[in-house]
Amino acid sequence: MGILLATSPLLIVALGALLVMLVEAFAPKLQRGELAWATAVTLVGGALASASVWMVGTVGIPGAEALAPYLLTDRFALFFDFTICVGAALAALLAGGYLPEHGIERGEFYVLLLWSTLGAMMLAGAGDLLSLFIGLETLSLGVYAMTAFRRASPRSTEAAMKYFLLGSFAAALLLYGGALLYGATGHTDLAGIGQRIAEGTASPVLLLVATALIVAGLAFKVSAVPFHAWTPDAYEGAPTPATAFMAVVVKSAAFAMMLRVLTVALGAKATSSWGAGWSTVLAPIAVATMTYANLVAGRQSSVKRMLAYSSIAHAGYVLVGVAATVRSSGAEAQAAVLFYLLAYTVSTAGAFGALVLAGSRGAESVSYEDLAGLGRRHPAVALPFALFLFSLAGVPPTAGFFGKFYLFRAAMYAEGSFRWLVVIALLNSVVGAYYYLRVLVFMYMREPAPGAPIAKPMKSAYVTAALVACALLVLALGLAPGASLDLALLAPARG
Amino acid sequence: MSSPADVLTLWGHWPAVAAAAVGALVPRGEAKQTRIALAVFAALAAGLVGHLWPGVATGAAPTEWPGLLDLLVVLPIAGAVAVLFLPRQSPKVLRRFTLGVLLVDLVFSLQLLRVPMTRGWHFVSVHEWVPSLGIRWHVAVDGMSLWLVLLTTLITPIAAYASFGSIKTRVKELCFALLLLHGAMIGGFVALDLLVFYVFWELMLVPMYVMIGVWGGPDKIKAAIKFFLYTMTGSVLMLAAMIYMVVQYTKLTGAPSFDLLALQRVLLPREAQALCFWAFAIAFLVKVPMFPLHTWLPDAHVQAPTGGSVILAAIMLKLGTYGYLRFAMGLFPGASGLNTANLAGVAVLGGILYGALVAWKQSDIKRVIAYSSVAHLGFVMLGLFAVTPSSISGSILQMVNHGISTGALFLLVGVLYDRRHTREIAEYGGIAKVMPIYTALWVIVTLASIGVPGTNGFVGEFMVIMGTMVSPRLRAFAGIDATLAAFGVVLGAVYMLGLTQRVFFGPLSNPKNRHLNDVTPRETIALAPLVLLVFAIGLFPALFVDRMKDSVQGFYDHYQYVWGEGRVERANAELLPPSSDPALERGAPPGPGVAAAAGEP
Repeated sequence: MGILLATSPLLIVALGALLVMLVEAFAPKLQRGELAWATAVTLVGGALASASVWMVGTVGIPGAEALAPYLLTDRFALFFDFTICVGAALAALLAGGYLPEHGIERGEFYVLLLWSTLGAMMLAGAGDLLSLFIGLETLSLGVYAMTAFRRASPRSTEAAMKYFLLGSFAAALLLYGGALLYGATGHTDLAGIGQRIAEGTASPVLLLVATALIVAGLAFKVSAVPFHAWTPDAYEGAPTPATAFMAVVVKSAAFAMMLRVLTVALGAKATSSWGAGWSTVLAPIAVATMTYANLVAGRQSSVKRMLAYSSIAHAGYVLVGVAATVRSSGAEAQAAVLFYLLAYTVSTAGAFGALVLAGSRGAESVSYEDLAGLGRRHPAVALPFALFLFSLAGVPPTAGFFGKFYLFRAAMYAEGSFRWLVVIALLNSVVGAYYYLRVLVFMYMREPAPGAPIAKPMKSAYVTAALVACALLVLALGLAPGASLDLALLAPARG
Repeated sequence: MSSPADVLTLWGHWPAVAAAAVGALVPRGEAKQTRIALAVFAALAAGLVGHLWPGVATGAAPTEWPGLLDLLVVLPIAGAVAVLFLPRQSPKVLRRFTLGVLLVDLVFSLQLLRVPMTRGWHFVSVHEWVPSLGIRWHVAVDGMSLWLVLLTTLITPIAAYASFGSIKTRVKELCFALLLLHGAMIGGFVALDLLVFYVFWELMLVPMYVMIGVWGGPDKIKAAIKFFLYTMTGSVLMLAAMIYMVVQYTKLTGAPSFDLLALQRVLLPREAQALCFWAFAIAFLVKVPMFPLHTWLPDAHVQAPTGGSVILAAIMLKLGTYGYLRFAMGLFPGASGLNTANLAGVAVLGGILYGALVAWKQSDIKRVIAYSSVAHLGFVMLGLFAVTPSSISGSILQMVNHGISTGALFLLVGVLYDRRHTREIAEYGGIAKVMPIYTALWVIVTLASIGVPGTNGFVGEFMVIMGTMVSPRLRAFAGIDATLAAFGVVLGAVYMLGLTQRVFFGPLSNPKNRHLNDVTPRETIALAPLVLLVFAIGLFPALFVDRMKDSVQGFYDHYQYVWGEGRVERANAELLPPSSDPALERGAPPGPGVAAAAGEP
């Protein structure tokens, strides 16, 4: 029983996925939209289950450790389960509006989405290289298919192809790195690897190569510069709900994996210290990621592509926090990363949702010009869009502001060169504000050129529901951030 | 049956009654609305002066209502949210609602005057916000922020009222922006928690950005983005410095706090202090704006609609000067003291003199006034850089004065712009012949802006120059700075009178100007309180300075004390003992050396 309870978040999602699959197969006449509700309800159930397990306390559940180290149900995993389920539920709601509008309504999308979510949750809980890899592949395969879901569009196919090739490459790097780690330490569980490295008996050369491979593979997955090249194309070509899924769920799961692998398996001095280990590599990657992505995002003419670059830039901010976990104040930095990902999830899902709502069949609103005058034509779309963009830009009192604030505060505690990382990241957020504001300029301050095709916003209760949920969460996390940060502080990554 | 005492109390109000009578009688032939409004304003002005007169309102010490400041801040923000749910189709409801909220705010803010502004904090209100990070909702006023809060609650309704006359499109967005801006500005003036201050500081960017960008002139988008990015660049550096300070404080005491009263006890080593000071100073100097960071201001002013310009000039720039005084000087007396002589030189040369010369050469009326703001704020900053009690008081008074006179000037330009849709000086000339009342108002405000004795501008500039003259902090430059600043006053007269001459006098050459209407009732009502205040402050400056002098002295004493401590070279951050004056510690968070009781208001 204990095992069932402890793994109930995953079980609920898996069960839901099976049901949705069966319903989809045997009741084809069913209104497809109802699948979106079913998916969203399943995922909200998963989120609630992870919250309840959290409240019961993982220590209090007998048998919860039985699956260790393959599947850990610690608070770290539960926090990520919650974030992932919320993000996936939002993406499912977006799909409920987007797919029928664009004439690609097929139930498989929801099934893929649910199985991918399950993979993401496995990734967040994986304490062993084997289960980690299985989770990663479960996550990725579904996302590749979702990316290619607009079969008629060559861009969608191209995006899926690129994503698939580079994603497999990254997975291979991770696998290779994992194999070398196993060779060096004789363990596949992360805690065991960490212990062996701390003992100092492992071959330093193997460790160095393995660390480099793993960091590169992880950087691919979180799309950090210079491993980001697939991101803009994949994000732009994919149907918008799939893009939202990639931007929030895949990114959160990848960061969960990154935190756990780097702090538990490679957390020993030999592989992590400032000057010799991965933190030295991550800091410049963070700077390059945010600076490059912010500069390029300002040059885009497509809003969707801009949001893709913006998600790369946000990965750069989070990397500052990940790098700061090597310091003694690492717990704070990790909690800040967790909170940031939650704030980022609701803001980004909301922004993509507003983008979905701003377009209609045949005119997926993607360029700035499409949004011209939206504030006057459809204030109910423009206002939440503006809120999410302010949150992404980090203007108080929104979730995004406190996300950045916690992250940079944690890095400031880490002292040393991290202080300068903070200054660079803050200046970067000004550059970021520029391109977020450009959307506002078009929505509120420009009128469409006479004769230009105007994207007619669509109507969808699903997307509206997602937007309302996002807006409430963005404001709630912005006005009362204390509680959720305190929760995040209770969730350190363990082996 | 009234006893003689009742008659006497009534008799005590005779100035207000007389003023009301005069106010109602003066504008013969005007609309009834105007006459009633003017009578009310005149009575209120007389009442204000009478009320502030020392020794009149004696009796039991009035109690401070702790929720007053919360109300002042939260009411407009709640109003902004409420506006979102009002129907877009009925602009009249929206306008009345907005004005109603702003007026209620104004009436409540007058309650701040009921308490004598003794040294220390008043109307302290503390609530926990994020306890684990030491962030608290901590608001209070003292004599330094009192007048700025009142200026805000006065100017925003006026700007809103004037805007509603000229802006007819997208009224809902306008009402939302005005109310949000209003709440954020008041919050900025009263916040004593650095993070709360930062939240308001950033929050007010958004509505102003919207105001410039949506209702602005032809080049509005560039101006709006420039405004936003300039200010934000400065403020993110401030955020970094803030976090750094808090980290140092946490290391010293073990518990974090973002409270100004806690953080001003931290004495950083010299280099860290210099870096943090500049991070704060740049954020505020951009906002002021001080040369060479001022280039966003003329663009923003020229493109902004009248109401936006009024709020920007009258209040938002004051947050820069106030922030410099309260936070940059309050947190880093050492670093600011070391740099103050150089900064004063920049304020004089780049602000007062350069601003005046550039203003002289402009061909657009709004640009003249925009650059005159740069010059006037040069005076304000000079007073702060001089760091003497007299110059700081003068600076604060000058902040209020500039708010009143420049606000009125922008309103007046708006009047002309609404009629002719151009602000080119060359398009005008001889306006006095067709718009006599308007011209009279303009001349009064211009004289106030120049600083003619009897108007408010004179007092502030005089106090600043006097304070600068005797400032020990400016060392050998004190005399030169004061002399050049006095010369700046002369330059101010040159460009403002030149502008008046070219626009209002001479022949009525342009035929398009023949049939301009004089000011409407709406415009008169918007301008009247400002013109009355020009004289109220000009004739009775002591009433205003009296309320700030204790707080300024308290601030100055603390500055001198930390400056004395700060001269010792330190390798690590140290914690100063809390101030010996309990009035200055009201509302401070509990910490080492602070009695737990002091944490409670």
